[in-house]
Amino acid sequence: MTSRRTGFTLAVATLIVASLASLATAADVPGVTKDEIKIGAFGPLTGPVYMYGKLAMNGLDALIDKVNQQGGIHGRKLKLIREDDSCKPEAAIAAVRKLIYEHKVFMINGGACSNSTLAAKPEVVKAGIPFVVNSAVADGISTPPSPSIFTTQLTATIESRAQVKYALDQKAKKIAVVAQHDAWGKARYEPLMTALKEQGIKPVADEEMTVDQNDGTAQALRLMQAGADAVLLVVYPKPAAVVIRDSVKLGYKPLWIGQTAIQDLPQLQEQVGLQGALDKLVSITAIPSHPDDPEMAEWRERLKKLFPNDALSVFNLMGIGSGAVVVEALKRAGPDLTREKFLQAMGGIKNLKTGMYPGPITCNPPASHQCNQSVAWIKLVDGKVKSIGVTTLE
Amino acid sequence: MLMFSYLLATGITSGALYALVALGIVIVYKATGVVNLAHGELFMVGGFLGYTLHVMFRLPYVPSLVLAVAGAFLVGILTDRIAYRPLMRQGLVSVLLATIGCSFILKGIARVLWGGKGDYLAFPPLVSPEPIRLGNIMIMSQQLVVLAAAIAVMVLFTVFFKTTRAGMLMQATASNPKAATLAGIRISRVYMYTFGAGAAVAGASAVLMAPLTLLYPDIGFTLFVKGFAAAVLGGLTSVPGAIVGGILVGILEQFAAGFIGTSVQDVSAFVVIMFALVFLPSGILGAGDVRKV
Repeated sequence: MTSRRTGFTLAVATLIVASLASLATAADVPGVTKDEIKIGAFGPLTGPVYMYGKLAMNGLDALIDKVNQQGGIHGRKLKLIREDDSCKPEAAIAAVRKLIYEHKVFMINGGACSNSTLAAKPEVVKAGIPFVVNSAVADGISTPPSPSIFTTQLTATIESRAQVKYALDQKAKKIAVVAQHDAWGKARYEPLMTALKEQGIKPVADEEMTVDQNDGTAQALRLMQAGADAVLLVVYPKPAAVVIRDSVKLGYKPLWIGQTAIQDLPQLQEQVGLQGALDKLVSITAIPSHPDDPEMAEWRERLKKLFPNDALSVFNLMGIGSGAVVVEALKRAGPDLTREKFLQAMGGIKNLKTGMYPGPITCNPPASHQCNQSVAWIKLVDGKVKSIGVTTLE
Repeated sequence: MLMFSYLLATGITSGALYALVALGIVIVYKATGVVNLAHGELFMVGGFLGYTLHVMFRLPYVPSLVLAVAGAFLVGILTDRIAYRPLMRQGLVSVLLATIGCSFILKGIARVLWGGKGDYLAFPPLVSPEPIRLGNIMIMSQQLVVLAAAIAVMVLFTVFFKTTRAGMLMQATASNPKAATLAGIRISRVYMYTFGAGAAVAGASAVLMAPLTLLYPDIGFTLFVKGFAAAVLGGLTSVPGAIVGGILVGILEQFAAGFIGTSVQDVSAFVVIMFALVFLPSGILGAGDVRKV
């Protein structure tokens, strides 16, 4: 009798402790309740590069809508909280602080501009909050690896090495560089020069363009004079359009090799304005699928439902791709969600196919938190963007 | 030699862009004594008005140009009525600060209205986009259109200031506002039309230049800096000086980039401003009476 009573008491006590523990988990883990997980995002919602912030967030919201329709993750619905950093470092610090301490989000999936994300990084590290970068490319964000920061975006080093590899694969003899030397450009230019040096290549010309430049004749003349047969572009679309236009004007048509800042090729063609000007241009995309592809129909509809003025773009797909990795890690972390379990799950992701990125996503902690090592090459063919191959770096 | 010819030709044609911006700055300064720091944003607004009419509403080029100029004129008048006129009695510094405020407001409005349509908007050119051969060099035809427009605007306003009553009233007002008031000139009205005229020039320039510069809400500042360098070099009070200054800045930029290095191309405009302010405060063709900035 005594032992039965003792057993009953123990069972009740266990139940009470378990209930308290579950309540304590929900209460102790910021941004997690019994039925909700708060995810934060920061990036530019306004300004000239709003696409990397607002549109990526719209994509993430479309994914969240789908996940929630399917019942959420372990019974919890996801909720996205956005903060605008206007692509400015000081605003990014404030945005991240607000997400962590005011909104008390569970994790952050965002970071659009490299400079502002770099500026906000110490806040993320200090708080130990999980952060999965979806758009910013600076290597310094995820290298050297911080325990709580992962990236699903291509980084400047990966893109630079891929640009050099592509030029060499095409048997280019004289490689030149046209780069912006602002903070964005430097973050790519330096790894590019390192990648060239690793291959024992000294560029035959190293020219600068500014983001607002309206004429690229001098650059084109110098490239032509140097006899460059492949030009690696580390510039925004406008300077790219200007230098390509003025090269065509001179009758100079090298192999142009771009990176992810130049991926809206139909728009670039409009900006250049000369037929056939992009015949010899290839560029990198992190998302090989085109928004008009039939398999993207679901996302076109989902996005239209939530954001009637948005036409599905590659920036939306970037948000969806990164969000898919986060969702997978949340599932793997299990119902008793903690930040530690989430980070462990992120680290355990190997060969995950998201349907968005060119290659599988593999995180290799502690050596590397750069989970995306594959670039897709695109080209404009008959006015349409075509994927022409994938380079996966080791 | 071919490189020299190309750099010279490109310097002249890209200098024409700066000259058109400088003309708007000079016209306003000549009549009001104010450097309108929102001029680049008026240019941007004019460009987007043209884009809305021509690209979005598919109006033909010429009506789009005319309506964009009219729209920019109205925006110029509005900025004066709302921001500048109430501050005219507070002194030029207040007005100068108001022009900075206006530039930010116009940029903000443009970001809301036109900022979500792509990063850099392409604007179809008035003439064929293909380059044409002039002697042994190739030039974009739209660049020649801009050069011709710059010369036409210069001639128009030189004649306007020298031969018309309205032009003389504007100059008299700028030269001595108190005397102009005593002489019965309604200076507030003169200022209003001057800001409108400056904005109209910006609007026309923007529609003509947009195929070369592309359009985006932040385009105004850089063009303003180059245009201001041109205006300072040519002489802030000289309409022909704006053309000379613009073309000199353009040539200097191209030669610096071609013969020294492309990294110094953008800096050269700032060097010109500093050089002109120190050694040529009245500019090449200025009147020599640098009264206020």
